[in-house]
Amino acid sequence: MGRPSAAEMRLSRPGHWFRSYGLLLTWSLLRLRSMLVLFTVLQLVLSVSIVLGFAFLMPEVDQQSASYLATGAPTIGVIVVTMVIAPQIIKDDKLNGFFDYQRTLPVPRLATLAADATIWIAVSIPGIIAGLIAAGLRFDLDYRLSPMIAVALPLVAIACIALGYAIVYGLPPGLVSVVSQVLVFFVLLFSPITFPAERLPDWLAAVHAPLPLTYTAQAVRESLMVPAGGISWQPYAMLLLWGAIGLAVASWVMARRR
Amino acid sequence: MAVLEVRDLVKEYRRGVRANDGISLAVSEGEFVGLLGHNGAGKTTLLDQVVGLAKPTSGSIHVAGRDAVAEPAFARAACAVMPQAQAPLSGITPRQAITTMARIRGADKSRARERTNHLLSALDIEAWADTTGDRLSGGVRRLTAFGMAVVEPGRVVMLDEPTNDVDPVRRRLLWDYIRSLAGDGHAVLLVTHNVNEAERSTDRLVILDAGHVVAEGTPAELRARAEGELRLELTAATPESPLPQIETAGSPRRDGRRITMPITADHAEEALNRAQHLRANGDIEEFALTPVSLEDVYVGLVGTGGSNGDERAGGDGDGTPVSSGDEAEPAGSLVS
Repeated sequence: MGRPSAAEMRLSRPGHWFRSYGLLLTWSLLRLRSMLVLFTVLQLVLSVSIVLGFAFLMPEVDQQSASYLATGAPTIGVIVVTMVIAPQIIKDDKLNGFFDYQRTLPVPRLATLAADATIWIAVSIPGIIAGLIAAGLRFDLDYRLSPMIAVALPLVAIACIALGYAIVYGLPPGLVSVVSQVLVFFVLLFSPITFPAERLPDWLAAVHAPLPLTYTAQAVRESLMVPAGGISWQPYAMLLLWGAIGLAVASWVMARRR
Repeated sequence: MAVLEVRDLVKEYRRGVRANDGISLAVSEGEFVGLLGHNGAGKTTLLDQVVGLAKPTSGSIHVAGRDAVAEPAFARAACAVMPQAQAPLSGITPRQAITTMARIRGADKSRARERTNHLLSALDIEAWADTTGDRLSGGVRRLTAFGMAVVEPGRVVMLDEPTNDVDPVRRRLLWDYIRSLAGDGHAVLLVTHNVNEAERSTDRLVILDAGHVVAEGTPAELRARAEGELRLELTAATPESPLPQIETAGSPRRDGRRITMPITADHAEEALNRAQHLRANGDIEEFALTPVSLEDVYVGLVGTGGSNGDERAGGDGDGTPVSSGDEAEPAGSLVS
């Protein structure tokens, strides 16, 4: 007993982080698998519905509106999964003690966050694709893909899930439900995601300027339909900043000792 | 050598609640220590500080000689914990849960499989090994949570009320298994309300009350603290019957029809004669003379008005058993 066991040795090796990540991923998949199918379908339906349903609200869908709808719908899908659905599930884990249980396991805390985040991001993917296909069929759009899509989508997803974690870890459980419900309406109706920011009143556009929502949509839109002036860097900087803030809050709460 | 060593531990929460108020205790390798106390006595807070869920206000915690407060990641690698909360197992089978936890706690694939099979069989839950959590009984879930902690036990095993909801037969298997963990050299710290079970299985007991250690020792040492050496137990005809008078006995305590009084060995014969007489007169239905149980000592130490009122059902606050176990029986009757 004086010397560490083989198992304990394995917990201090350099590959421990990736080993833990893989095992936690397996664990989360086992726990969530029954719900994952449901969430994937829900997100897919949401993404396609925004493309088709929002078009009814507009008398005439011009190219600009169509491009906002086509790229905004999958973005909203990602936001809903990472900042609304995931926090609701994790909130239950906090209430039933599983959050604390996870914190007693001999794994790096960031590996726990990363494993869960991987699952939530994976859940978003089918909806992103379905939304884009639906828009392509409905509006006869020309996607002008940039290689930056390979950066934009993961960055949006990671920043959003980091913020989702910050919401659920940083707020008391009762407030998590309220905030995520309000967020759905704010994202769907009052954020320049499915429509240009110019349509908002000045004050609301000013409110959005420092917030991450506009930039999630812009990063996705510009990488799928590259504008004449090229892709702007600002959304990437803002998403990195917000992602870092979210991650800092989440890992602080993870490591905090009462 | 003490694998877990806690010294002068104080934990004061922000609202000013002193959950731990200068606790010192040590658990050596191969030792099985029981931690007894009312709800709110500070037991779970102590465990939380060892694994880094809570930070001590002052005092020190060492695991295998290393500072657990400064190195919480080491403490988590060296300690396996079974929390009090029910493990959320919806969608997961006991086999999956135990195997995955073994791997997370550092076991390789074949050892994880082997240890899981061994545990499922030792706890006699193989019949449910592949049933998902939502269809399992509370007891099987509790045993699964136990398996998740001890499948790769680490140097220190800490168990928070592992026997709750578990049926009496498997409860014995559970105690045997915990005993064997200590036998294999692990330091075991077990939180329980079940005084009688703890008395039978542990090497040493630490009794907490309101954040303090009020007593510590082997079950025999603790029993020796009791007033008198024996206990006379009478069963009255009705809860309202008048208290029978036995002059040589100590002050009686009443719990419904059950009346207990301490008595010394010198007066045992005389008291038994008196009890025979009371039964012959129909004043009492039954009587028994038993060695003083640890539960009596425990109640004497922490009182029935302990840190938390939840445990007490009796209106007069006297004589209500503290054990939550359903196996609470005297250690051995002499006469009945």
